[in-house]
Amino acid sequence: MINLTLFTILGLVLFGSFIFIALQGSPKSLPDTSAVRAVTQIINLEGSSFANARRLLDDTDYQSLCSNPDLRRLAERLRSERKQLALMWISLLQNDLITLWQFRRFLIQRGVPSSLKEELGTLKSLALSLVLLNFIKLSIRTVGPFALPRATRQAGQLVDSMSKGAAVVLGRIPAAGWAEIERSWANSAA
Amino acid sequence: MICATAVALELGALLLLLRNGLWRAYMFFLAYAIWLLIGNSAILVTFLYFPAVYPALYWHTDSIDVVLRFLVVWEVFHQTFPNGSGLNKSLSKGLGIIAFGLLVFACATFWGYQNYTSLRSIHLALDRSFGFVQAVMILGTLLMARYYGVSYGRNIRGIALAFGGWVSLSTANNAMADLTNSFLPYWYYLRPLSFVLMMAVWIWALWVYEPNPPIMESEAAELSQWTEEWNRTISTARTIIRP
Repeated sequence: MINLTLFTILGLVLFGSFIFIALQGSPKSLPDTSAVRAVTQIINLEGSSFANARRLLDDTDYQSLCSNPDLRRLAERLRSERKQLALMWISLLQNDLITLWQFRRFLIQRGVPSSLKEELGTLKSLALSLVLLNFIKLSIRTVGPFALPRATRQAGQLVDSMSKGAAVVLGRIPAAGWAEIERSWANSAA
Repeated sequence: MICATAVALELGALLLLLRNGLWRAYMFFLAYAIWLLIGNSAILVTFLYFPAVYPALYWHTDSIDVVLRFLVVWEVFHQTFPNGSGLNKSLSKGLGIIAFGLLVFACATFWGYQNYTSLRSIHLALDRSFGFVQAVMILGTLLMARYYGVSYGRNIRGIALAFGGWVSLSTANNAMADLTNSFLPYWYYLRPLSFVLMMAVWIWALWVYEPNPPIMESEAAELSQWTEEWNRTISTARTIIRP
């Protein structure tokens, strides 16, 4: 009975999925915009290239300002500005992760060897990283930028680990080139 | 009436495959189309002239059809990720293991067919178990292609979506028919009607020859430049994050 009910539900879900895909139309021809954007941005990962994360999340200045009652207002302003900057930095890190993920898909699509296990591992790593970064953003919004300094600093390492994953894939390429990618993009954009 | 329409559409699909040499590109699909025409023609003839044999022939033909449907699944996969392409080399092993797991799952769910008493239910269970797995395989192939931005031509897109829609609807339909007898009158119409709809989409898909665009792959040149640029970037990023 449960078996039959499950098949009924799953069958209908699958049918709905096919209808959804049919309505969505054909996927974009390769290479898609996001992948090529990833290639061009790969040299400049904005979130990762921010050098003063440690300073940004360090509450020493804030504490010293707070210790003087006359500077409390200034301390609050500093805290508020740091909060905005930290949120911006986390958003950039998220964009970096997505960029690296798109770049990896682009590489695999173009014949760079990989395995399903590695692909699933990357996807898992990306999902966990994005969840953690969102959690950090939420914590910054609710309790301020100095509450989870260590976790926030480690957010940068998530991007690093994604980069290493992509680097491993790239290391396996028998041959490839920027010129070829740019040519493909120009052809598809034309 | 529905059966006659289905046979006419199958004949149409077969003629479209033979026209312009489409069959050379879609050999597995051709084999399935031939089977459909033969099987459903036999069913139509027995229905009209040998009604006593009709039920047994219908169910046995359906059971053979369940197995032969894998030809369509293979055609869709093979056309989407052609042999020799980088994606095929990278993913075929992992996907093969998943496909094997799905087949084991289908066999395991069918194993419980003793729960059903009538002959009809055994065939419905077979159709349901393997139909579900086939729908998952087709959907998996479509999603994988979408994930990597692989484009479809009209032929494979039409074949895959119509087939996937039909087998998934058939799975739900069969389960509902076994779940409650009150659904049986609908089952008798819904399944053949959805089949006719699938055939109509196949006719549309095969009307012109539009295969999948070839997957662009990196050429064997300029490796060192690309790898060098990448390694330089990563090492810069690492230095910044961990000074």
